[in-house]
Amino acid sequence: MTDAPHKMTARDVSVFYGEKQAVKNVSIDIDMDRVTAFIGPSGCGKSTFLRTLNRMNDTIGNARVEGQITLDGEDIYSSGMDVVQLRARVGMVFQKPNPFPKSIFENVAYGPRIHGLANSKADLEEIVARSLRRAGLWEEVKDRLNDSGTALSGGQQQRLCIARAIAVDPEVILMDEPASALDPIATAKIEELIHELRGRYAIVIVTHNMQQAARVSQRTAFFHLGNLVEYGDTDNIFTAPREERTKDYITGRYG
Amino acid sequence: MNNARATQSTQAQERAPTDWKTVAMQRRIRKRYRAERRFRFFGIAAVVLSAAFLAFLLVTMVAQGWRGFTRTEIMLPIDFPASGMMVERAQLDTAGADLALAGAGLENAVKSAAAAAFGPGGESYISDNAWVSVRKAIKHDASVLDRKTQMRVPASSEVDQAMAGRGTSEILAAVAKLKNAGLVSRHLNLDFLKVSDSTDPVAVGIWGALKGSLLTMFVTFLIAFPVGVLSAIYLEEYAPRNRWTDLIEVSINNLAAVPSIIFGLLGLAVFLGSWSLFGYRVGPLLPRSAALVGGLTLALMIMPVIVIASRNAIKAVPPSIRDAALGIGASPIQVVFHHVLPLAMPGILTGTIIGMARALGETAPLLLIGMRAFIVTPPGGLTDPATVLPVQIFLWSDEVSRGFVEKTSAAIIVLLVFLLAMNGLAIYLRNKFETRW
Amino acid sequence: MNAFALMFLVAGLGLIGWLTARSRAARFDRGGAKRLHSLPAQHGFFVAMWVVLPALLFVAAWGAISPALVKQTVLEHPAASQLPQFDFERDALLAEASRVAEQPGVAAFDPVAQQLVAPTRAAKVRYDWIGTAGAILLAFAGGAYAFTRIRASFPARSSVERGMMLMLLVASLIAILTTVGIFLSLLWESVRFFGQVSITDFLFGTHWSPQVIDPARPGRSLGAVPLFWGTFFIGAVIAMIVAIPFGLMSAIYLTQYAAPQVRRWMKPILEILAGVPTVVYGYFAALTVAPAVRDLAVAFGYPYASSESALAAGLVMGVMIIPFVSSMADDSIAAVPTAMRDGSLAMGATKSETISRVLIPAALPGVVAGILLAVSRAIGETMIVVMAASGAANITLNPFESATTVTKQIVDLLTGESEFDSPKTLAAFALGLTLFVITLLLNIVALRVVKRYREAYE
Repeated sequence: MTDAPHKMTARDVSVFYGEKQAVKNVSIDIDMDRVTAFIGPSGCGKSTFLRTLNRMNDTIGNARVEGQITLDGEDIYSSGMDVVQLRARVGMVFQKPNPFPKSIFENVAYGPRIHGLANSKADLEEIVARSLRRAGLWEEVKDRLNDSGTALSGGQQQRLCIARAIAVDPEVILMDEPASALDPIATAKIEELIHELRGRYAIVIVTHNMQQAARVSQRTAFFHLGNLVEYGDTDNIFTAPREERTKDYITGRYG
Repeated sequence: MNNARATQSTQAQERAPTDWKTVAMQRRIRKRYRAERRFRFFGIAAVVLSAAFLAFLLVTMVAQGWRGFTRTEIMLPIDFPASGMMVERAQLDTAGADLALAGAGLENAVKSAAAAAFGPGGESYISDNAWVSVRKAIKHDASVLDRKTQMRVPASSEVDQAMAGRGTSEILAAVAKLKNAGLVSRHLNLDFLKVSDSTDPVAVGIWGALKGSLLTMFVTFLIAFPVGVLSAIYLEEYAPRNRWTDLIEVSINNLAAVPSIIFGLLGLAVFLGSWSLFGYRVGPLLPRSAALVGGLTLALMIMPVIVIASRNAIKAVPPSIRDAALGIGASPIQVVFHHVLPLAMPGILTGTIIGMARALGETAPLLLIGMRAFIVTPPGGLTDPATVLPVQIFLWSDEVSRGFVEKTSAAIIVLLVFLLAMNGLAIYLRNKFETRW
Repeated sequence: MNAFALMFLVAGLGLIGWLTARSRAARFDRGGAKRLHSLPAQHGFFVAMWVVLPALLFVAAWGAISPALVKQTVLEHPAASQLPQFDFERDALLAEASRVAEQPGVAAFDPVAQQLVAPTRAAKVRYDWIGTAGAILLAFAGGAYAFTRIRASFPARSSVERGMMLMLLVASLIAILTTVGIFLSLLWESVRFFGQVSITDFLFGTHWSPQVIDPARPGRSLGAVPLFWGTFFIGAVIAMIVAIPFGLMSAIYLTQYAAPQVRRWMKPILEILAGVPTVVYGYFAALTVAPAVRDLAVAFGYPYASSESALAAGLVMGVMIIPFVSSMADDSIAAVPTAMRDGSLAMGATKSETISRVLIPAALPGVVAGILLAVSRAIGETMIVVMAASGAANITLNPFESATTVTKQIVDLLTGESEFDSPKTLAAFALGLTLFVITLLLNIVALRVVKRYREAYE
């Protein structure tokens, strides 16, 4: 474990939907060069917690967040934090691929355009090409960048969404069950991609597929009923869990 | 492998990470937030201005219309013994009282009393109908005929307008004098709701039009509701998917958007036109200007609204309920009439009320089928000549006399009250019975 | 007996049939079977159906043909020979006789008509009796037939349900009948119109003045282009300039920005705008908006502004259409998957960027379809233009000048006093046909766009 400061930290974070508490006093650190996996049965609060990391919970009317979350030491819920910048720095990939009904090129170019990242048309084209390459989609789509993004296959759409997130040059990428809507081959491609992206970005992935967590992550957090039950190196979690509940879950006794 | 190489090759031309703290970037973000606030402001402005227009419209109508529910009354001194009227006292308690008083020259007596009281031309200060309220007072207490007395009678339209500051300088001065003497004043007058059309703006009322509206709505409901609900049931529950069904659906969807005036043309040509049937000329099928024709025409107009609302309500009943009923051996007809229809009824009623409200406010098709007659006596039945509230509003709005402005606005207030009540009822039903399955 | 009384009578007979059949079915010998196929009440409905339906059909049919029979009988009366040969005058006299015949104690104005009153009355009475007797006979015959058929094993329920199915089908066919009725009646009168006026004169003529029609060449003053222009200018241009931005922006604000509380109150308030009757808008436009617009024009240095300007009518019409555009836009925006909005927000787009670059483009087909429907509603709107727009047919681009519309002219043409067959009256139907076809096309296109758009997200 390095001594470098953590990319993101969460301290005593609770999330409420109206009266109902969905996440209870979660504290966790996220580091730059690792993939962190959140696992747990459905409804355990892992996706909710993920959405607090780039304040996507703001879009839900009655959600309320308590506790402190920092990005590079800055409190992201402080009044000085700009949500637009935050979300550019902490990107997100969703469970269901959600390309915009625009061309492949426009899908990827959307972020750089709104944030003003490109100086010229050539620059923009280069950003798009690089993002698509990085998402491993370039070879498949380079000849049809003007086709609609929605015309791609499910796996391709998801990689397009990853390319779209990369194009804004984020520091952290949050992935909410990115492969759950895909077939096994497309899933393998996404996992391979996560491997390659690791090191360049801090990656947080929510999954309820334990093999996937074991395959792609270095750190794993197990959530249950809104609590963070156990957090540690993936190898340890899967081979020698400290908590009984974790053991029950990963051996398939419930969930 | 391929991907990996692609990644490697781009490594060389790696750009520096975005620095969000630069002045240029901060300025850009501030600009984007300004655009955001501007956009949001436009949104608020659109909502507020639309609501403001509604408020302005309602305030204008109420400000102009409240005077319609009042009337100017004038204190008229009248000396019955000196008027020379010969009235048989015995008749005053009988049904012939009205005739007896009219025959005794009450109208002229009242006019001369006005001339005597207010000077030459004084009879123009009181309404042409003033003697009717005097008659009422006499019938109430016959002893007034034996003495000199004072009575409040409705003032004429000119006096009424002068009270609001409109008119020639002579009448304004005269009315100001009367006002200072405390002889003329405004009073709440609900006769407006009880009497019918007239040529004199102070004597008009909306009862005839309102009754016409109610009769028309009765016919509309009687036709449109059963036909609309039955065809919704057929289309939603039983219709086979074929070209005929498609044709019915397309017809209904398009009828819902056909301009209302076209239905007026249909009513005019079909119900009121002459037909050639087996060589005979069949005259108009239905009487012109009648509530029956109006109701039928409006029923055709709102039927698609009811069909569409009913279909949505029926569609919202979950299939599990149908399965459950079919599972215990109910026939398809029983499933619908015992289970689906009762559950869909709140939605169907909501749609029906909204459709009826639309019919109640409709004017154009009724103009074409002649429901614009001058109706002094309220229609007694479905085939009598009638007019309806919106058409009455239209007719009064064309009147030149200034007194009609406030009466028009007052009629609009009555119409809006009815419509708001109906829409309110629909919203209440929707909220109360809204079920999430 | 009049039709209503007859219907009540038939309904009463139906009730009697229902009661007797039910009590008879309740006493059926079950013959060992555990249950009857049908309940007693269903046997009752079977009989009631047979009592009521044939009789009512007969009453309806008789109501349609008996006036013709009465007329035929009256024409055979000797006094009828004094009637004028000309169809129109003869019908007027017959109508007068018929009217007087129904009101005892009133005399006809025309002596020939007065002579025909007695025969008319006699004929009416006779055919009334035939109708009544026929209806009652049919009711009894139907009832008797049904009554002989019911027995323990008779599947009354199936028969009743077949009857109900038929009723449902007939109810849904009324929609088609109405559409066909509209189309045929408009077409029929229009064909008669185009028999007198050439179709090119009507569709492409630029001069409209139905008050002065040259009988030799009526088409010269019945060129409808100024009407089409006025309709387009008021309904599709001025009204939309108001309705589109206001409707779209309110939908966006209420769906994307407003707190749920605000939305819950403001949405119904805007919907009230759509519920205000058009005659109220018309009155408001004529009384308040039109003078204000004229004063405004004068203040802008345009002294010849009309007090029946296209602008006043168009503005008020636009306000009326706002909730319509707003609810269509609301629906289309709501149909865009939330995932798309989240995708954009998650990249750091502001709300307005998300709305204008992702939501609106995604919802565009729905919004465009909504606007087409709004246009179709605006050009078919009648009362606002009848009360606030002018009757003068101008082709102008100046919103302060007056313009007239198709709907306004239909009302003007048909509410004047003129005979039914004149080109002036028939022109109203030709205008109606044009309006019907145009709105129909707009609706078909819009509905198709909406349908395809819905499918794209399902």
